[in-house]
Amino acid sequence: MADPMRIRAKMEGDKTVVRVLMSHEMETGQRKDSAGKTIPAMFIQEVTATCNGKTVLSAQWGTSISKNPYLQFAFSGAKAGDKVVVSWVDSKGDKRTDEAAIAA
Amino acid sequence: MSRLTEFLHGGLRVCASGCTALLFSVAPPAHAASENVAQVGDWKGIGRAATPAEVRAWDIDVRPDFKGLPKGAGTVARGQEIWESKCATCHGVFGEATHVFTPIAGGVHSEDLKAGHTASLLKPTEARTTVMKLSHVSTLWDYINRAMPWNAPRSLSIDEVYAVTAYVLNLGSVLPDDFTLSNENVAEVQARLPNRDGMTMDHGMWSVKGKPDVRNVACMKGCAVDVKVASVLPEAARPAHGNLADQNRTIGPVRGVVTAAQVAGTAPAVPSQGVAMLQLANKGACLSCHQIETKVVGPAFREVAAKYKGDPKAFATLIAKVKNGGQGIWGAIPMPPAQSLSDEEIGKLVRWVLDGTPQ
Repeated sequence: MADPMRIRAKMEGDKTVVRVLMSHEMETGQRKDSAGKTIPAMFIQEVTATCNGKTVLSAQWGTSISKNPYLQFAFSGAKAGDKVVVSWVDSKGDKRTDEAAIAA
Repeated sequence: MSRLTEFLHGGLRVCASGCTALLFSVAPPAHAASENVAQVGDWKGIGRAATPAEVRAWDIDVRPDFKGLPKGAGTVARGQEIWESKCATCHGVFGEATHVFTPIAGGVHSEDLKAGHTASLLKPTEARTTVMKLSHVSTLWDYINRAMPWNAPRSLSIDEVYAVTAYVLNLGSVLPDDFTLSNENVAEVQARLPNRDGMTMDHGMWSVKGKPDVRNVACMKGCAVDVKVASVLPEAARPAHGNLADQNRTIGPVRGVVTAAQVAGTAPAVPSQGVAMLQLANKGACLSCHQIETKVVGPAFREVAAKYKGDPKAFATLIAKVKNGGQGIWGAIPMPPAQSLSDEEIGKLVRWVLDGTPQ
């Protein structure tokens, strides 16, 4: 199990702004280690964010996303105190789900 | 008493009375200044001793042993509020920012917290973060207190500095979310820092006797004695910039190389066969008595050539004559042996004479 994500969700006007910092190596499969051996690819492939059971963001990621990715997005239709749930699945099937309450 | 003296006396009296009045007014500060002089050396009357309050305001440093750390406390949660309102613009919500400053948090793993050394510092590809490098909590606390926020340094209260310090360490996975940092538990937090043992003092940056960070050794052994010319400009390229001799100054130890002959477009000065042979004849002192066309003391070279034309033994005969000297064929005056010429040189000269001294 990977390290937890850091999630901040905040009301800005009638929109909810969500900031997420994920902890992931995001190996592209093209780097080599000091012995010259190729490091196998391992990167986040799917990201989903839900609020009150509704999907508010869904993304397919590839190897061009950096290590320890930072994600920021906004959506409408939520209020302070609601919970935002973010989850990812990487190319090796590893998963992580974290949540945060929306601050006023 | 002259008028002048009377005037001076009157003037002095006025002056004396004026000075007395003046002395009364300046005496107390002058006295105070003379007390200060004892503290500040020769700077008489300049400045004054700082008051204890001023020293307190200036003396804000916090040392690694936490000397100078004021009492106070702050929670991670409070630190997050301050961070997101005052710090996140530049440092990023999670201290991850790279667009303004280097990241504050990240790069620390759970093994580092046990080891006391941040392993990722040894990886050249890893971006360095503040929490990765931090070896003393006091440094972080002092820096936030002294210099942050950048646009309003010293604007945070003591408790707010504790809170922000706690939050930065929380972002760096050192402290849990519900932690309260205070002057009482700061030493305990110090013992949790990932790079707490990463600081070394065994080097020249700390002590003159320490190991320097460069290892330059003056050897002064086996030095090269001769200059070896490793490469030269090809002949064709030498005149590319005109005659270098004309372009260098004529004072000082260095002169420009003459490239004038090549500049003029003529072939390099390789002497023709005739000139070379004449030089050789001169070396053998032949030209004292012989010339090419004219009889002087001995016969002209052309005469010799004409006399021996068609004689197959001429070559060997003449070599013997030049080498050992001769007398009687052309007159009574003897020819001395050519001692300064080698056999090969004599052979060349004789061949040249018999061939009719070509140019």
